[in-house]
Amino acid sequence: MRPRPLRRARALAVAAAAAAALVPLLAGCGADVTRARVEQSIGPTFANLYVQQQALLGRPGLAAAAVAPRSACHRTNPIAHDTGAGSDWVCQLTWSDAGRRPRTGKFELIIHPGGCYEAGGPTKVIGPLTIRAASGKTVTNPVFEFDACFDTT
Amino acid sequence: MTTPAVDVDGLVKRFGDLTAVDHVDLRVDVGEVHGLLGPNGAGKTTFLRMLFALIRPDAGTIRLLGRSWAADGPAALDGVAGFIESPRFYPYLSGRRNLELLAGLDGARDPARAIMRVLELVDLTGRDGDKVGGYSFGMRQRLGVAAALLREPRLLVLDEPANGLDPAGIRDMRALVKQLASSGLTVLLSSHDMDEVEEICDNVTIMRSGRVAFHGSIDALRSQAPDPAHRLATSDDERTLEVATVHPGVSVTRHPDGALALRAPAAAADAFLIALGRAGIAVRSLALEVAPLESLFFMLTETGPVSAASRATSPEASALTGARS
Amino acid sequence: MTASPTTTAAAVPTAPSDVPAPPGRPRTRTAYRWEIRKLTAQVRTRATLAVCLVAPFLFVVLLNQQSQVPKDTLFGRWVHASGFATPLLVLGFAAQWVFPLLTSIVAGDIFASEDQYGTWKTILTRSHSRNQVFWAKTLAAATFATAVVTVLAASTIAAGVLLVGHQPLEGLSGTLIPSGRAAGLVVAAWATALIPLLGFTALAVMLSVVTRNSPAGIAGPVVIGLVMQLYAFLNGVDAVRHLLLVTPFDAWHGLLRDHPYYGPLWQGALVSGGYLAVCLAIAHTVLRRRDITGG
Repeated sequence: MRPRPLRRARALAVAAAAAAALVPLLAGCGADVTRARVEQSIGPTFANLYVQQQALLGRPGLAAAAVAPRSACHRTNPIAHDTGAGSDWVCQLTWSDAGRRPRTGKFELIIHPGGCYEAGGPTKVIGPLTIRAASGKTVTNPVFEFDACFDTT
Repeated sequence: MTTPAVDVDGLVKRFGDLTAVDHVDLRVDVGEVHGLLGPNGAGKTTFLRMLFALIRPDAGTIRLLGRSWAADGPAALDGVAGFIESPRFYPYLSGRRNLELLAGLDGARDPARAIMRVLELVDLTGRDGDKVGGYSFGMRQRLGVAAALLREPRLLVLDEPANGLDPAGIRDMRALVKQLASSGLTVLLSSHDMDEVEEICDNVTIMRSGRVAFHGSIDALRSQAPDPAHRLATSDDERTLEVATVHPGVSVTRHPDGALALRAPAAAADAFLIALGRAGIAVRSLALEVAPLESLFFMLTETGPVSAASRATSPEASALTGARS
Repeated sequence: MTASPTTTAAAVPTAPSDVPAPPGRPRTRTAYRWEIRKLTAQVRTRATLAVCLVAPFLFVVLLNQQSQVPKDTLFGRWVHASGFATPLLVLGFAAQWVFPLLTSIVAGDIFASEDQYGTWKTILTRSHSRNQVFWAKTLAAATFATAVVTVLAASTIAAGVLLVGHQPLEGLSGTLIPSGRAAGLVVAAWATALIPLLGFTALAVMLSVVTRNSPAGIAGPVVIGLVMQLYAFLNGVDAVRHLLLVTPFDAWHGLLRDHPYYGPLWQGALVSGGYLAVCLAIAHTVLRRRDITGG
């Protein structure tokens, strides 16, 4: 019976060491929600949705690349240092519309810890909740409010 | 020398400060019916649980039919079956389904016929489709025996099989055990009833406080039993006491309640009673108070009636108690 | 019993000359099949699967009747637009509150019920080892967890497609995902939920073995899941969030993008595997070393 507890203790120590090594790998370094990640996500997402909106409004054929979105995001709460989940994120988006004119608008974001967020844009620039499509139907404005997610690992 | 059916050496089990089983040795030969006797708390059930590897011993070895858990794992229970305390089943399954489940856990491929057979043996064929939750205590006990017999055991270990049964059930259970024993099965049976053990068993082990107080045949136990104690009522108690003084080997004492206690071997008792008659003393009643084996059991296990008669020890019995404690 | 002594003498088994080994060494598979049979005989198992089958349809009917949509959960805003949004909405919601219970209702009880019925001494004195019994029960619990996910997934997808339609789904990149691909992605998303669910199954098994108490085994994982969910919600330290067992339930988000990301899935698998290994190791050790002194 003597050697067995020793063997077991050794196995346990090895397992604990392995776990301890894995934890930082899994936990990751740095925050999940960073300014860079937010900016990289909102631009392309907005562009695709804008293309959809324009198609609904009777201007199909606009390419997402042509929209060329640029974003600058920050948190209004200065303590947060533009990092971490919260409902105080603001992104200033600039893009080119169907007529190649530069447009800009301030979007408000609620970002959740998992990297998903809800964004809402300015009605004056991108239209209200519902818009009248070219077909005559009243449809949801895809750009007015939208959800997206980004990788937090 | 054939392998014994049960071979236990120096078995120890402690629960914290309590030593439930204290260096117990036990041997049961093949074909024997062995009684394990002791009052509640003597360690019988803990001991039996260790045979089935339900409890891990702190020290000692157990070999059942030549196999041990250390060397053979669950194969140590091949040919061994039984139940501990009252057998338990799944109440939401029928009796038959429970048996099918247990047969499956035995590795049996086609248990239907075996199940029919054991159900007939314990007389449960009418109720096998009912959920066990609705069974009476006696029916569950019988189902437990059926479940044990399903393994076609060579060694049957039963923990107080007649416990909790009504008199008819007790009688039937004893008859069944005797019948199984007579067919060549080795039976290890625990009980707190000396009568039962005397009736069914060849050999007996008496346990007290985790230790073995006696291990041997029923006959050896009988030979060490004190003389039977009788309660005697006569027409003239004073003179009876006088007559007793001239009869060696006969002891007559007074109970606290006034009645007389007669303790003597059979022949001496006969002679004494005849002498009483000749002396003009009528014997109004003579009743066996404590059966000899039972009183030995009480002495060995320090339990039982507090009457003066049972406290009177024979030299052999006190030597036994002294040696083992 | 009254007839036994005289009439059944012939039926008493005679002692064979050598010990008959059971035909074939008992396999874990047999014990596993019996655990499944015991589960199917229990009301709670059938009731849970029935609820998983029916509730999604009721849910979709109720949703359809409302003009408002549940915008606070991902894909909630599209439930009227595409039938594929419904299963993703349910996945997001169920993962938060319901999944731990769906598995613990069986896994939290499957060991503790033996203590409750006093049947450990019955099943551990046959020819199966404790190790085999442990794995039979654990695998049965895992089978039930898989069945629950499958039934719930199939039911929500069917409810969405039948009651709303199979329109293209608005993905998480702002593009419309065509129906065929959307269907595949929805099935994949549900499949990924199985991984952390098995982690919760192991957690429930461990609680069931250690506490020997069915209510503790069932409620424990639910409470732990809620506490974890609360932590994640309250925006605590990110490193800890990565190690919670509820985080992998959201790992499917990355699948619904034009450029999918799989990081959370790999991490989630590792974390779930870690919980699985630790919980089962503890449960196995405790069961193997236990003295069965009671029923």
